[in-house]
Amino acid sequence: MWTDMEREVIRCIKCGACQTVCPVFRELGTESAVARGKIRLIKAAISGDVESRSARFGELLSRCLLCGACQENCPSGVNFHDLLTRARVQLAEEKGLPLLTRLVLRLGLRNRRVFEAALGFGSLGQWLMFRRASSGEGMLPRLPMGLDMRRLVAPVSSQSFRSRHPEAINVTNPKRKVAFFTGCMINHLYPETGESVLKLLSRNQVSVVLPASQHCCGAPAFSNGDEATAIEMAKSAVSTFAALDVDAVVTACGSCGAMFRKQFPELLRNLPKYFEKSQMLARKTIDFTELLVDIGLSGELTKVKRNVTYHDSCHLVRIQGVRSQPRRLIGSIPGVTLSEMEQPGRCCGGAGSFSLHHYDLSCKIVHQKLDDIVATEADTVVAGCPMCVMHIRDGVHQNGLPTKVMHTADLLAEAYDD
Amino acid sequence: MKKEIADEIKRIVGAQHVLEAFEDKYCYIYDASAINVGKAGVPSLVVFPANVDEISSLLKLANQYKFPVIPRGAGTNVSGGTVSHADAVVLVLKRLDRILEIDERNMMAEAEVGVITASLQAEVEKRGLFYPPDPASRGFSTLGGNVAENAGGPRGAKYGVTRNYVLSLEVVLPTGEIIRTGAKTMKDVAGYDLTDLMIGSEGTLGIVTKVTVKLLPLPWAKKTMLVVFDDLCKACETVAQVFMAGVIPTTMELLDNIYIRAIEDYVHIGLPVDAEAVLLIEVDGDEVALGPQIELVRQICTNQGATSLRVARNAQEADELWVARRSAFAAVARVKPTIIGEDCTVLRDKIPEMVRKIRAIAEKYNVTIAVLGHAGDGNLHATLLADERDKDEMERIEKAIDEILTSTLEIGGTLTGEHGIGRVKRKFLPLQLGKGGMQAMRAIKLALDPNNILNPGLGFGD
Repeated sequence: MWTDMEREVIRCIKCGACQTVCPVFRELGTESAVARGKIRLIKAAISGDVESRSARFGELLSRCLLCGACQENCPSGVNFHDLLTRARVQLAEEKGLPLLTRLVLRLGLRNRRVFEAALGFGSLGQWLMFRRASSGEGMLPRLPMGLDMRRLVAPVSSQSFRSRHPEAINVTNPKRKVAFFTGCMINHLYPETGESVLKLLSRNQVSVVLPASQHCCGAPAFSNGDEATAIEMAKSAVSTFAALDVDAVVTACGSCGAMFRKQFPELLRNLPKYFEKSQMLARKTIDFTELLVDIGLSGELTKVKRNVTYHDSCHLVRIQGVRSQPRRLIGSIPGVTLSEMEQPGRCCGGAGSFSLHHYDLSCKIVHQKLDDIVATEADTVVAGCPMCVMHIRDGVHQNGLPTKVMHTADLLAEAYDD
Repeated sequence: MKKEIADEIKRIVGAQHVLEAFEDKYCYIYDASAINVGKAGVPSLVVFPANVDEISSLLKLANQYKFPVIPRGAGTNVSGGTVSHADAVVLVLKRLDRILEIDERNMMAEAEVGVITASLQAEVEKRGLFYPPDPASRGFSTLGGNVAENAGGPRGAKYGVTRNYVLSLEVVLPTGEIIRTGAKTMKDVAGYDLTDLMIGSEGTLGIVTKVTVKLLPLPWAKKTMLVVFDDLCKACETVAQVFMAGVIPTTMELLDNIYIRAIEDYVHIGLPVDAEAVLLIEVDGDEVALGPQIELVRQICTNQGATSLRVARNAQEADELWVARRSAFAAVARVKPTIIGEDCTVLRDKIPEMVRKIRAIAEKYNVTIAVLGHAGDGNLHATLLADERDKDEMERIEKAIDEILTSTLEIGGTLTGEHGIGRVKRKFLPLQLGKGGMQAMRAIKLALDPNNILNPGLGFGD
């Protein structure tokens, strides 16, 4: 119900402070781009001033990265992230999801076997649809098929990360025992990042459980307003991970970790069977960098000659609160210099399916990020979320920059190269 | 709006710089004031001109077809100065966003009106220069908006307000002529002071497109102290004593007990919750002179019966002292959802009397009113905390505001120190200006804007 949102909506005093930090507003400059305007629109839906089923209303509410910057900067403390996702759920209930989104989320995502079979097929067939990019770091579409023709994407791996490994990877005298939630992007698109995480954990005496029945965290469903699917995914993750006898559940993706730590308990609040377990799981989930800082890097690190700048993934820094740990780890690699960019926490514009729906806009947003990266004179940009890696890499490719884009785990793993 | 007029507007600025959809335009019915006009206020178009010539053409067209025009910067004013109404064209000036010149030798800067105030400040500070006006919104409000509202801020006690820095303006008059007011020289008495006339005119007398401001050298150093009082009157009396001793502080921020409690509840920094007042005092200037100055202020505070007093020894400690002031708004915003900030301003020595009146009014109407003040310049922000869904409470709030305003006038103050009259206080303006004052303003308005095109909702041309 729109009226359920009133309590939060009236807390916005329309001061306009959100204009300072909103990456979408920076590009569009219109009131509807920024939180204050969207909150007015939601208020208008409550009062009946606007028709929430109108195409324009939905379009305007879709122009949000859910980066959380406005919320962090809001003097009144309006929980805009929550407000907007609730509005999207309401919209999906009223209008239904677009056909393609529904197919992907309801048919594909909810059923792990269908999902994995489709991706398995995709790994074989993708070269019909895509060509290798000249940079060698991804592929470009051959046909429009709903993706922008310029879009650089990562190929689906012929062998997913999890299918390469047993469910238990034990070390002798473990310091910790953790479960690794890989997320879809690491499992299917960036298995090498999964390998890096595994290598880092093993080299630091951490035993790893890699549950075969783990699936998507549900973030794509959640951000598109498909609450029912998001709840299914949350239930699945809680069932798989809550009962494990491990010290922590580790993620290496800003958005997956944010789902585990913040959204699962909220999604499952009305399901007593799951709610408590989801809270326990939320407390247990940490980013792999938090674990490594906690136990301290062990062993001899080899020299890595890179001038690095670190990009804070929105969901890692603002929802999970992970800011210092990756920097400490990167700074401890011999040979690496870390130079901070302007506003490292400004969204890169990737934002999951936002960059599919609003590719031009997300390109403009990444442009600002690239300027900030270039200004540091770093040769490598590192991020803790595969979505950011994909989007910044796309931006680097489109603009012909020499900068290398890496996941934090991949950089750290280089220091453990023999 | 007729299609041919809309087409003409699109021809002038380019169709991609015009918003036509109802939902897009709905986001321009508000500013940061509490005025809520609903869909009846949706303008006919929202237009984003690129330069002075487009604005001139638009205003000529407005006079030809007699449609109202509402100039708008970032829409962060709290007086209802940019609330739209049906049939109006909202002119958003954010595309005029270039800093044109920073002249270090003559210590001045020129910028287009859409430049964010804090961006100009950051640029001049890189060169050791200083543009002092610091409205709370400076991180997102525009120079043009600051000029239109004659914005002030905490530094006003020592450095004054926007008006004290503007040397010259480029203005499009309501009928479309482009003029330059004032001169870039430090002294200028050529003709009527149209620069001062435009400053604070709230978008009713012209659309400013360029602003030339004078700059100061960036102060070498500053010292910050936080003083706690168990008696509000003692705190207020201290404010006057400090000035009388010959010290002009940069800021002198007063927080009352309601603020203190809310802040302590929110950030836990060890403020005594039974304290009646906290003063945050900052002095800046020559480092050598600052030591004796802060010592003098400390003595005055002690003599006035301050219960505790902390002087920051370094920048980090100063920052900690500022936490209380900086989190003030966020803190009260968590007490009640609807926050209305008043800005009645009185003589410095009338602050205790005004605060007592505000307290009595709060009690009379059974509403919560916290007081935060730029005490150094008598600018009090009575902060009314309410819940807009509670109709009864909102009625009492409205009555309380009415009485605060009339009380301010009774003791020789002004309705607004830095927020502007806008739509929020227009009904009170005759009380302060009298019939003659209102007539003079109306005569000026109609001389420049015979068709009452620019921001007519403010009532100067009625």
